[in-house]
Amino acid sequence: MKREPLYTILACAVLALTVIPVGGAVFVLGFIRGDSPCVMCWEQRTAMVLIALIGLFVLRYGPRPKYVGLAVLVGAWGLHMGTRHASLHAMRDVGQGFSVEILGAHTYVWAAFIFMVCIIMLGVLLMSLKHVEPSSFPRSLGWLEKLSMWVFLAVVAGNIVQAFASTGPPPYVGQSDPIRFSFNPKHWVWALDEWRSAAISLRGRWDIEPPDVTKVSADPAAGPLKDLSALTVKQRRQLSLPLRGAITDLAYDGGTDRFLITTEHGVYIVDGALDHVLRSTVVDPGFSVDLGTFAGAAFLDSRTVMALGENKSFVILRENDKADAAKNFRFFLESADQFDEVTRSRLATMRAKMMYVMSLAFDPGSKSLYTVSVPNQQTRRLVISRFAQQDLTLSEEYSPTLAPDSGLGFSGDKRSLGEYFVTGATIAGDRMYAISAAYSTLLCLDPAKHSVVMANVVPGLEYPTGIASKGDELYIITRSGALIVVDRQ
Amino acid sequence: MEFLNFVLIFITACILLRRPEKERLAFRLLILSVLLMASLFLLATRTSILPGLNY
Repeated sequence: MKREPLYTILACAVLALTVIPVGGAVFVLGFIRGDSPCVMCWEQRTAMVLIALIGLFVLRYGPRPKYVGLAVLVGAWGLHMGTRHASLHAMRDVGQGFSVEILGAHTYVWAAFIFMVCIIMLGVLLMSLKHVEPSSFPRSLGWLEKLSMWVFLAVVAGNIVQAFASTGPPPYVGQSDPIRFSFNPKHWVWALDEWRSAAISLRGRWDIEPPDVTKVSADPAAGPLKDLSALTVKQRRQLSLPLRGAITDLAYDGGTDRFLITTEHGVYIVDGALDHVLRSTVVDPGFSVDLGTFAGAAFLDSRTVMALGENKSFVILRENDKADAAKNFRFFLESADQFDEVTRSRLATMRAKMMYVMSLAFDPGSKSLYTVSVPNQQTRRLVISRFAQQDLTLSEEYSPTLAPDSGLGFSGDKRSLGEYFVTGATIAGDRMYAISAAYSTLLCLDPAKHSVVMANVVPGLEYPTGIASKGDELYIITRSGALIVVDRQ
Repeated sequence: MEFLNFVLIFITACILLRRPEKERLAFRLLILSVLLMASLFLLATRTSILPGLNY
């Protein structure tokens, strides 16, 4: 490409970038419609202006590598800004967003798109520089280049006015929730909120550690509920099953008198005496849906089981003596001829969205599945989520309270049920039984009334990871394979 | 601070138009504007610098 056409195209590009997104934003959206940018929008707008300004540098001095390089850097930073801004709103319900929507996208999404276009244009520019040499002294400007400079100055002048009104002079900085623009100084708000003290973090509220049952305190005396009585342990023994890895959950099917045990990725059907493995497989956790580490297990019927990861991703398997190992190769790492995979997907929650789970319970009466959240360093709350079996979609979600007639009380003003670390849950009759590794406590809940009706200490528990109801007894299993049996209260 | 940045940008563009022999000054003002823009965005997002999503 020869010298002059390059500069003509570049002048047009500078005009387009200056007039359409930036000029449109300040004069149309700002002065006419009263839209004020938030602090992040201001910096994205500034970055667009800076790319246009770098274009003017090229028009004046030629395509020096440092100009093009700086433009790429600003474009890349702009892409980060647009993505970071869009991430605040991208996962809301359909149609939701922040401030103005234009042609189906909000301004921060358009910003990301514009920066992508800028980076692409810079790539094309670089590929077109074969016959163009940087100038060692300022170039004379043609009429189009001068026009682009004057238009640039006019648009920047408009931004100076809007920025002064909306954000103020230093040290004031733009706001997260800016008010409508006005030329009337009575409606100007200048704020120093962005200078407030705050912890610096790469991921903020998304910085959540995976749950680890070995890091909780098992001492019942330190628990949030006071004066809990200890249950009598009827049976305590070490299982000697050929399981691969630590045990992560336990479930029972009364129809066939069999247990379901999961390990990190293993699924085991075991006899009613917990002596023999009848059927097993190891699921491929990385195929399609990221299943993470299994933490919950349940029988959906006598032949169908569900294994749930800590991240609420799940797989549903159906026993099949004639399963096709070749067809099932994609689903299983081992023993692909024992089960067929029905489906794998993810449970979505609301209150528990930023919390992992370590339990799964199925209620055949209401055809519902339950999960119980575990606390983390960002959220210390007990959230119970109920999903309809029919479509595995959230039906109900709540944080239980203490039943008024339970006689239960907290051991201090700042104690709460959110301190419990529930690693197993099961439904028996109209009650949910949840075993907490923290403080070795068995909670009995009334799902209909969203309340804890009873709580007891289970002595001698070390890292429990599952609980199942068999007849009038509760079977509690630990990650190392110790079994504790207590009467169901 | 955004107001200040646009003033710096305006001055830089004026240098390009009226005093092009001062390229070094103009480029330094440009760098200053870029750094100020990036710093203000980091200031606003310092509690969660990366996009809030599952990675």
